[in-house]
Order: sequence, then C-alpha cells, then structure tokens
Amino acid sequence: MINGHTKTYLNLSWALRSTLALPLLMLSAFTMPTQAHDILPAPVQTSAILFKHATIHTAVDGVKADSDLLIEDGKIMAIGKELLAPEATVYDASGKHIYPGLIALDTSLGLVEVEMMRPSNDSREVGEINPQLEALTAFNPDSEIIPTVRVNGITHAQIVPRGESLAGQSALVSLDSWTVEEAIVPTQTAFHLYWPRLKPLPSDTKKREEQRKDYQDRVSLISEAFTDGYRYYLTHKAETKSKLDMRWQSMLPLYRGEAQLFVHADTQKQIEEAAALAKRYQFKLIIVGGYDAWRLADLLNEISAKVIYTRTLSLPMRKDEPIEMSFKIPALLKQAQVPFALGFSSDWNSRNLPLAAGQTVAYGLSKEEALKSVTLDAAKILGVEDMGAIAVGYRANLVISGGDILDPMVTKIVKVYIDGRDVDLNNRQQQLYQKYLKR
Amino acid sequence: MNRKIKTIIILAALVLPYVSAVEANDQLTDNTPKITALTHARLMIEPGKILDDATLLIENNKIIEIIKNNKVPSQAYVIDLKGYTVYPGFIDPFTDYGIEFEYPKVEATSPIYEIKRIGGNAKNGAIHSEKEWFNYVHPNSEQANKWINNGFTSVQSSYQDGIFRGQGVTLSLADKTANEIIYRSNSAHFLAFDKGSSPQDYPTSLMGSIALIRQTLADATWYKENKSKSFSKTGNNIVEFNNALDKLSNIENEQIVFDTDNLNDQLRAAQISIDHELKATLLGNGKEYARIDELSAFSYGLILPLNFTAAPEVGDDDAEREVSLAKMRHWDRAPANPMTVERAKVPFALTQYGIKSDAFWPRLKQAIEYGLSEDAALAALTTEAAEIAGIADFSGRLKPGYMADLVISKGNLFKDGSIHSVWLQGDEQQLIARNSHLLDLTYQIQIGELTLDLMLDNSEADSDKITGTLSSGEQEITLSNISYHDKRLNFTAEMSDAGFEGVNRFTLWFDSQGLRGRMLDKHNTLTPIAGIPTEQVIAAPLAEDKPESSLISRLTKPNVAYGIEGSVSSEKLHISNATIWTSDEQGILEDTDLLISQGKIERLGKNLSTPSGYRFIDASGKHLTAGIIDEHSHIAINGGTNEGSDAITSEVRIGDILNPDDIAIYRALAGGVTTAQLLHGSANPIGGQAQVIQMRWGESAANLKYTEAPASIKFALGENVKQSNWGDKFTRRFPQSRMGVKSLFSEAFNEARAYQQELKAYKRLRSSEKRNHIAPKPNYRLAAIVEVLDQQRDVHIHSYVQSEILMFLRLAEAYDFKVKTFTHILEGYKVANELADHGASASTFSDWWAYKFEVYDAIPQNTCLMQNKGVLTSINSDDYEMQRRLNQEAAKSMMYCDMSAEDAWKMVTINPAIQLGVDTDLGSITKGKQADIVLWDHNPLSVYAKVESTWIQGKPYFDRKQDKLAQQSIAAERAQLIQKILSSEESESTLPPGEIIEDKSEPEWHCDTQFDVWKQSSQGRG
Repeated sequence: MINGHTKTYLNLSWALRSTLALPLLMLSAFTMPTQAHDILPAPVQTSAILFKHATIHTAVDGVKADSDLLIEDGKIMAIGKELLAPEATVYDASGKHIYPGLIALDTSLGLVEVEMMRPSNDSREVGEINPQLEALTAFNPDSEIIPTVRVNGITHAQIVPRGESLAGQSALVSLDSWTVEEAIVPTQTAFHLYWPRLKPLPSDTKKREEQRKDYQDRVSLISEAFTDGYRYYLTHKAETKSKLDMRWQSMLPLYRGEAQLFVHADTQKQIEEAAALAKRYQFKLIIVGGYDAWRLADLLNEISAKVIYTRTLSLPMRKDEPIEMSFKIPALLKQAQVPFALGFSSDWNSRNLPLAAGQTVAYGLSKEEALKSVTLDAAKILGVEDMGAIAVGYRANLVISGGDILDPMVTKIVKVYIDGRDVDLNNRQQQLYQKYLKR
Repeated sequence: MNRKIKTIIILAALVLPYVSAVEANDQLTDNTPKITALTHARLMIEPGKILDDATLLIENNKIIEIIKNNKVPSQAYVIDLKGYTVYPGFIDPFTDYGIEFEYPKVEATSPIYEIKRIGGNAKNGAIHSEKEWFNYVHPNSEQANKWINNGFTSVQSSYQDGIFRGQGVTLSLADKTANEIIYRSNSAHFLAFDKGSSPQDYPTSLMGSIALIRQTLADATWYKENKSKSFSKTGNNIVEFNNALDKLSNIENEQIVFDTDNLNDQLRAAQISIDHELKATLLGNGKEYARIDELSAFSYGLILPLNFTAAPEVGDDDAEREVSLAKMRHWDRAPANPMTVERAKVPFALTQYGIKSDAFWPRLKQAIEYGLSEDAALAALTTEAAEIAGIADFSGRLKPGYMADLVISKGNLFKDGSIHSVWLQGDEQQLIARNSHLLDLTYQIQIGELTLDLMLDNSEADSDKITGTLSSGEQEITLSNISYHDKRLNFTAEMSDAGFEGVNRFTLWFDSQGLRGRMLDKHNTLTPIAGIPTEQVIAAPLAEDKPESSLISRLTKPNVAYGIEGSVSSEKLHISNATIWTSDEQGILEDTDLLISQGKIERLGKNLSTPSGYRFIDASGKHLTAGIIDEHSHIAINGGTNEGSDAITSEVRIGDILNPDDIAIYRALAGGVTTAQLLHGSANPIGGQAQVIQMRWGESAANLKYTEAPASIKFALGENVKQSNWGDKFTRRFPQSRMGVKSLFSEAFNEARAYQQELKAYKRLRSSEKRNHIAPKPNYRLAAIVEVLDQQRDVHIHSYVQSEILMFLRLAEAYDFKVKTFTHILEGYKVANELADHGASASTFSDWWAYKFEVYDAIPQNTCLMQNKGVLTSINSDDYEMQRRLNQEAAKSMMYCDMSAEDAWKMVTINPAIQLGVDTDLGSITKGKQADIVLWDHNPLSVYAKVESTWIQGKPYFDRKQDKLAQQSIAAERAQLIQKILSSEESESTLPPGEIIEDKSEPEWHCDTQFDVWKQSSQGRG
C-alpha cells in the first residue's frame, strides 16, 4: 500500500517540477492567540500544503532530516527532498520537527468532564456484564478537556468504558469534530473486559477465605457470560430461532472473529487467565495494563495477542521490584518481542502521553521506538492501517513542533493537523492564561 | 511434640473433675491441716538458682520453707518428687482473663462527633481510665485452663478495648471466688493507640490517638492540681467532675502496659511514655530484632508474644511476587526474636497473647533452639512477669512467704520435659497423673504360676487409647478393652494359648513396687497378679527435625528490600567538570568543580585539584544540582494522613507518625529528592502539624526529621474541608460552605487568642491567688493556633479558587499574621498581585486540573503568571509517583509558558526551601550549605535524565550502580528464602502452624485520603 502511493507521488512531483513559477504563499509561524475566541472545528482541507525543510519523524521509515512533506485532501501525498508543488501552500518548517499525530489509547476523554462531579461522569455503568454498552453514546466532542489534550500533539483517542468485568465497547475518535458522528474513525468492534484481581489478603482467616471466594465468583461470572454468549452464537450460526438477548447479540462479532477483546489485566495470573479465555474462543486479544506481560511472551505470541502498556508513569506494582520497573517494562516487552503500544489511562491527564513515551527512553527504548509506541503501534493495535505514521497514503495527522515532542523541556507544538485540517490549538486554559496576562 | 500436648490435654480432662477447695454448703468448718512437703525435688528457686534434691514446704497457700536436707517436719504430708522439677508458677502479664464485661452497643450511625456523658466519664469514647477491672473479675475455669495447662498460675488482666483502657488486675487462675484470687486489685494502666469499639469518630488516625493521649495526660495533671479549687470561696469557676482524669492523677508513679501491634507503634509508645516519664512496659510484636538498638535505648521492658509468622505463600510464582522480601525475612527470623531481645539486655516477659495456647510451649522451645537462654525464658515466665504484674514481692520465686503457685515437671521444661501438675494457691491441679508414665512400661507379671511380659503403650500419637500385649517368648496376645480409670487399669485377653480358657478379665493398679491386681477367668475364678517393671522405656527421642536454626536472611535498616547494612557516612568528594545548577545567583556553571567535606559544600571552582583523602568523580557531560525539595508530600507516614474527624485538629502531629520503613523514601532519592515537607491532609480546615524530613534511608524515624526547619501546620480550604465529595453521610459537620470555612477560622483564631489571654492572666497571678484560681485547662489544639497567630508556626494552606485565597489573605491580615505558603493554589494566577503584596508564596501542581469542580480553572501557566508577578513559586507532588519525577514537572512550565530553565529548576530547589524556611542551609549549591546534591546524566529538566547519585549531608544515600547490585542481591536472597520456605513445607513439621500476619492495609496517602485506620475503612474520598 505504501509502495503504491509512493508511485503516485513520483508521478505527481514530476508533473509539478515544471511549474516553478507559481507564487509560493509562506505561512507565518504559529503565534499564540492574543484574544479569546470560539474554538471551531477546523474546516476540511481544501488546498495542498507543502512543508519545507523539516525534520520528519516518520515512525515507519526513520527520521528524515531537512525534508519536505506534501499533504492534500487530508492525505500524505509525498515526502522527499526539494519537493515542488506549485498549487500548494508552502510552510517553511526549517528547524521544526514533524511527527505523526499521537494516538492516546485507553482514555476516558469526552466521557468525563470533571471526575468527581457525578453529572459530568459518563464512564461507567452498574452491573458486570454489559457488552452492549458503547462509549461513543456518551462522547462529548465539546469537552473542554479535549483541546488541552490535542495541543500536546494528540490527534486521536481511544475512548473506553470503565467498569467491572464486561464494561462495553470502546471507539476511536478524532479530537476535532462538530459531532460525535464526525469524530468516529472506523475500527473493528472492541470489547473491554476488566479482569478481577485478588486484593491483598488480610490476616483474618475468615476474611481471607471470603476474599478468595469473592474473586472466584467474579471469575466464574465472566466465564459463564462467555459460555452464554457462545450458546447464543451457536443458535445464531445454526439459524435457529432464539429470543433477542442484547448482551449476546452485541457479542456475536467477537465469536465470528470480527471483533477484538481488550482485557484489562496486569498480573501474570490475570493475563494467563485472559489468554486462556481468548484461546478457548479464538478471540483476538489485546491486554491493557500489561504490567507482567513481558514475562509471558510465548503465551501471548502463540495467540498473536498484543499489549497496551499503560503504567509507564506509575510506581512499581510491588515493593521489592526495581525502582525503575514501570519505566523499563516497554523495553522488556520489546526485548521479549511482544507487540505493544503505550497508553495513558486517564481523561485530562492523557495529555501527558508524550511524556510517558519519553520516559521509556532513559530505560531502554530508542527515541524512535518510543514515538512509534504512541503512533504507529497504537494504530496497528486498533487495526487502523492509514494512521500513526508519516508515509504516503496515510491520513495527514501531523504535529509540528519546535523541539522534541517527547521532551517537555523543549517541546513547542505550533501546528496540529487532523486529516489535513489545521486544528485550532486554543483551549480553555490558554484563554484563561491570555485573560490573566492582561491583569 | 504434638503427641505430648495431646496427652496433656486428654489426661487433664481425665483427672480434672477436681474438687473445688470450698464447698458452698459446707456445714462444717474445714480444718484439715494443710502442710505439704514436696521432697527430693529439683527446685528452680529463681532464674540461675537451682537446688537439687531439696524440699519445698507449703502451708495453706504459701511457701513456708525451703529445706535443703529433706528433713521434713513430721506433721507435713509428704509427696515424694524424686525425679521431678518444681518451678515457680508462671505469670502472663497481658491477658483479658476473667473479666466479665462488655461496653453497651451504640446504635447511632457515624459520623459521631460526641458521645454520651455518663457518670463522670471522659469526653472521648476511647478513654476508659476510670475503669478498675477488678470490679468485673469473675473466674472462669474453662478459660483458665488455657493458661494452667501451660503452667501459668496467675495473669494480669484488663478489658482490652480503647486507648486508655483502665487499670488492670492481677489474679490467680485458681478456681475460687473472685475475692480469693485477686492478687493485686489495681495493677498496671493499660494503654493503646487503637480506639477499639469507641463509636466516636475522633480519633480516626494514629496521630490523632497519640495527640489524644498527650492531651489526656495533660488534662489529668491539670485536674489533679485544680479539682480542689472548685469549691474555694474565692474560686472563679468549678471544675467538672471527671472520674477518668481523676484515676490518672498518679499515673506517673504507676505501671502502664502499652499495647501496640507493630514495631513502629511500639517505638512510638516508648517515645510518648518517655516524654511523660511513665513507667511503661510495651507489648511486643515479634519484630523487635529489626530496630533493637532503638528499642533498647528506651530501657523499657517488653511483653513478648510468641507469634511466629506462617510461611508466606510462594508455591506459585504469581502469588510469590506479591510477597515482599520483608515478609519472607520475618518468617525466617521470627523465632530468633526472643534471643535478640535477650542479647540486647532488654528485660522481657512472655505472653500467650496472639497465639493459640497449645502453640505456646512448642514456640518457646523453638525460640530456645534459636538461641534464647533457658534462664531468660524462666525469668520471662516468672520474675520479670511478676514485676510487670505488680506481684514480685510474693510471686515468681520459690521463696518463703511467696504464694504456693508452682509448676511441677518431669524433665527440663525448656527441652523435653512436660508439665505434670500445676499448684494454684497450694492446691494441686494434675495435668498428667503422677504415675501415668507407668502406662508406658513393660512389666514382668506373675499370674499364678505363669510368668508373662506385659507391655503397655500409651504413646500412640493418633489415639487416646492404651494398647498392650501379653507375651511369652514368641507367643503374643493382644489386649482388648483397655481402660485406665480411677487409677485402675482394666483389660481383657483371650488366653487359651497360655492355658487360661476363654476371655479373662484383668484389673491392675500400680504401687511402689510395680503392679498388683487380679485376673478373673471364665469361671469367675480370681487369680492374684503381681508385676515388676522390667525396663525403663526412655521416651523415644521425638522424631522431630530440628528446625534449621541458622538464619539465612539479611538484616538491614530498614529491614525491607533495598535496606542498608551498616550506616552511611559522610564523604569527602571532588566532583569535577560538571554543569552545576547552583539555584543561587551564580546561575548555571559549566565545566565546574565542586568540593564537599564534613557534609557541607566546601568550594566551587574551575579545574580544582583533588585534595588528599577526597574521592574523585569525573562528571564531564553530567549535571550536578541541589537536592530536590517537595513542599507537599504524604510519604513515610503510618496510620493516616488525615485526622479527618473534627473540623479543627491542630493538636495532631505528623512528626509522631513517621515511617522510616517506607520504600517511598528510597524511591524519592532515586528521583533526586532529598527533602520533603510531610503535611497533614486536607480533610479539615485546620489540620495537623507538619514535619519536614530528609530522605535519610536507613535511619530511625527520629533521624528522618530535619530539626532545623521551623514549625509549620496544614490549613485547608474548599471542597475537601466542606466535605463536598465525602458522600451523603457527611453533611452535618460545620462548615459545609466556603462562608462557613471563613467563620470557622475566625472562631478558631478568637478562641486561640482568648486561651492565650487566659494563660497570661493566670501566669500573672500571685502564687497565693493561684491556689484559689482554677488554671486554664491545657489545650494543645488551641496552643498550636496561638503559635500561628504569634508567627511561631508557618501556615501552609491548601487552596484552589480565588475567593477562598483572598478570603484567607484578608483574614490573616486581620489577625496580623503572614501566610507562608498557599499550597496547590491552582487559581493563584488570578490573584497573583494580592499574593505578592501580602508576601505569601505559592506551591502548585504543574498541570493538574479538571478532577474536581474547584480545579476547573486550573491552568499549567499558573507558575509563570505567579512568578512574573513576584510570587515565590514552587512545584510540589502531593503524590508518591510524581515525587520522583519533580524535575519533569518543573520542565512543564518551560513547555506551557516559556519559563527559563534556571527558573524552572529553582521551583523544585531553592524556592521550596524558602517556603519551608530551610533555605539558610538547603536548596542551593552555595558554599557553606549542607551538601545535599544530585548527580544527573543529562540536563535534569529533560525527560531523558536519570539520577546517578544522591547525597544528603555528603552521605551517599542513593547510587544507581549500588542500586543495580541491590536488585541482584534482593533477587538472590528471595530465591534462597523461597527455597527455605519450600523445603520447610516438604518435611512434615511438628510445630504448630504459624500465625498469618499481614501488614495492616495502608493505602498510599494522599491529601484527601479519608481513612479510619482503627476501623480500617475509607470514609468516602474527596
């Protein structure tokens, strides 16, 4: 696919070379908005843009110094040196870095405005078997939080229902849209299962037993749900009549192999049990959390499972573990050859995803791998094939920064494009800042 | 070993229907002479003093004489105890035996701020010092046997509930009337930190309990001095009657027993006892070995339980990962704890508390195998225990005039002996019939003309039954229906082979020669029998694997993973060619050298030569900074960060509850943090007193304190203090709005001023006037607020929105004090001018917002806006994880609002140092300041930077290379311990199972963690 588009680019650039005379419109470098204004979703890209002399972090094909990038109709059209595009608006990106838009996995963006205010929290439902719930239903594209996240270079987010056991279905959304429907990026259906965890046992023998039993009960409930779902699937496959059951009806794609199962699990035991479940029904498994996943490479690779590691900026899960354990697990996953991406399980705080990725670099990942873990690898986990990299044919989801996007000390994001649309980087916090600068 | 215990119990049951010494309806006076001579015994007079082949003469319930030559007065009834040992009866100084009582159940639902006042009780529901437990003594022989079977003859008892639990009683375990068994009606006062069944919310935290003890003791002193003034003619008031305080009026001259369940609390109990000059004995916890030097410095005695922890579950690698090294080490070392205590010369008694009574002797023997001396064990059971229980003048020794409370054993109790009888106040309670061993022998018996070997076996482990055979040469007859009742042995035998037709019945009894008795054959013909023992069956050495007494675990400080062996000492260092971020006016110095010695910054300069004796570190390409300082942290504390009950709790002190075992200290060092202010949480407007610590990993709680820091206190505003996010139960405490918060502060300040005036006025009185005037009641709560008003205690106030910030600024101005620091202050940018004008500083989060309503206007540019207006600004963590990345948090201001690198770095070093009032010695790399320095491999503000080493006072507390080694050694030690645990489980153990001991669940503390540590429950989270 990439090759095919590369060809197009060659033809196109050849055609454009002869039209040097066309006037180049230089875009001025981004300036901070000096007054509050409405933050409107960006209009569809109507004219091509040519970024010149940038350092391009492709996430798929290394870092290209002093290179040009052409985007048109929301797609990446060409990457190379000294590109010519007479029709295009030219952006002088000398001294700037261009990155693919970051994809934040495992967030509750748009589902939660202010966590402790119940009316503004739509992220979890009561009950333990709710596969039919869809996060999209509650997504608020006008959340004040969203603009503060994309200003840090995050263009898309996976929004995930929270809960116990089967919590529902997540969705991938663009972080700049008028409506929920415009925000959707189609992916396979994604179910989220929160695997129970045995809490630390108390000294009291009776309470210990209760706690163990409670854990067992919750595991059994999950296993029964999947059996029931399977029964429903069998009747369905045999085309015999059965009454509609919303829960199992929603899960049919999973049994058909047309959906993914995201299991939130951290310990070895949880992951092993999740893998056993996935294997039994041949589900496509993604482990979310994944603290111990690096220990289970064979098990996970055997069923082609992948991992979203979400605990980079966390304490070690256990007291005796190396102090840097959470930081180095991405490197351990890499070493164990388990496919993974990084996530940041939060709402407002998911804007620190680039920092989390950067943190892995001092502990074993290369800068390129770290970037890939929040762009291309994230897209691959969601099964999206035209996002997460700067390559011809990919969506023009771009971040332009004056410095390294992973290192806040130097990060200076000046532009964010989603599908070639020039996204407004203003936000509630910037507005307050500008307001009080005037006091 | 199990077999033996079992036998004891069975026989005890057999012999027990023991006649009470006093028959209720006895018409006749009992004038039986009660002089008994226990002759030819080995007498354990007291630890270290043994008399062999001597006589103990008892009259009624007392020992009257020790006779060395066995010349017994003729009127004495003689019991020959040849081959037996007599010990003084054992004493358990920590029990709840024989107290018939229960506090009434309270139906009201929490939160409960006040309790029912009744009969002059205390104001707090956990104070029961008016209780004198002798009032509730009622013997209970069934319960008593749990002690008697182990040789205990008396116990100290108290109803174990609450903080001040009342005065205990020491009583005999004899089954007599309460009046007869009370040895000491008012023994020790019992104290604890756990509020027990008290329905009242206060205290919800450990520091609250400590504060309550402190206040109560002060109240008691005041009560003692002032109660008589109530009715003086010129008196100004009356003192309320308070029985609880009254009963504490002489506490400094009385014994106290302090109940705690972990080592840190035990040390805290010792500290508060020393502070108040109390004569304390501390209940042990089994982990004394981990800080024995600190403990022994207090010179308090201990009451040690023999709770040896059960082997942690390591069978499955997933479960094993959850088991900390500390826990495995404790399993390894617990049996050696009594030995360690003994060798540290800490006096101690033993208690059955915390374990099943039948585990007591096996455990004690295990402790002896691990090195506890027999003398110390005996002292612990007798003389030391008697001291603690207040009965040393008549109990705990074999001495004329002492109680005839005795233990009689066959063999050495501390090795393989067993208790045969226990004498309670001169009355014997046999546990094993004195001749029961005769049931384990072989006899040659004569039945008429026939000579047969009778072999008896009473030692079968799994059966209560006696088995036996009659044999002659090869021929053997198995005995049936064997029973031993009323000292008679009955059995039947089919003896046709031996010439006696049919089933024959035997009845035998023992006498001094051996056996006597008769046989009835099938014709009911009686044949007399006589027998003599043929061989002494020496109790077969128990098939018991000696526990591996060699300890394989390391002992570190603290005794957890990454703890250190030995101590860290201050280095002389020459760090060369570094980029030095001075955090002072020198700015950032490239290619610069630094010398440190004696814990101080000695010199900065270019191309310095290495003085002799200095360690040289080439820091080319590396960065050196001052240690990071965190203005707002809750690490390294036990028992709750909030005393979240009352709205004002300024009496509680974080300094009371430091936890030097917290791995967070080590992790902070690895993030370059050297100093932090540990703050009370934000559950109430006036929280508790803060404590500045340094991350001196491996030191004691006391040595964590940075004592040069000025006193400070946590105040709080907004949603947390008005309980906005605590759930629907919490709507009654004033205040519930920001209006009320202001009113509450005014009230507190007014009260504090009034209290101060009262104190001053009283001080001015002539001493004759003082005799008639009631002194102001001491009030630690108000005293701390007085310090605030007097600018003797800095305020760090948790705040978010502009209205409340302005409110408090103006309130402080009205009461004429300066606010030191607004902490969090996420809307500080809106009132930066006002903050600057007041001279208040600000400590904020870099980018937190939107998690609750009052932070919806928080912006990451807050730092720049405040800084630019002249407000001294710092970044704090309020979080275990973020604390170790404060360098990155500072860097965010460079991203969000273009702060300079130098200013950003100051926000985590010199600025917080100024806010804590410690900048004269900390916070920058300035000549003469304390050498708290951090070496980084990159620009410290970069996400790619790692700490290589951290020094405090020139002592290397963290080094990444050492840390790697520690990781390896932890892994190796874990592996060894796991093997030891697994192999201990392979071999069948004869020891009773260990206690399951889990650490009390303590969450990671945050500003808003609302947790009642005594009820182990969260009360909503705000």
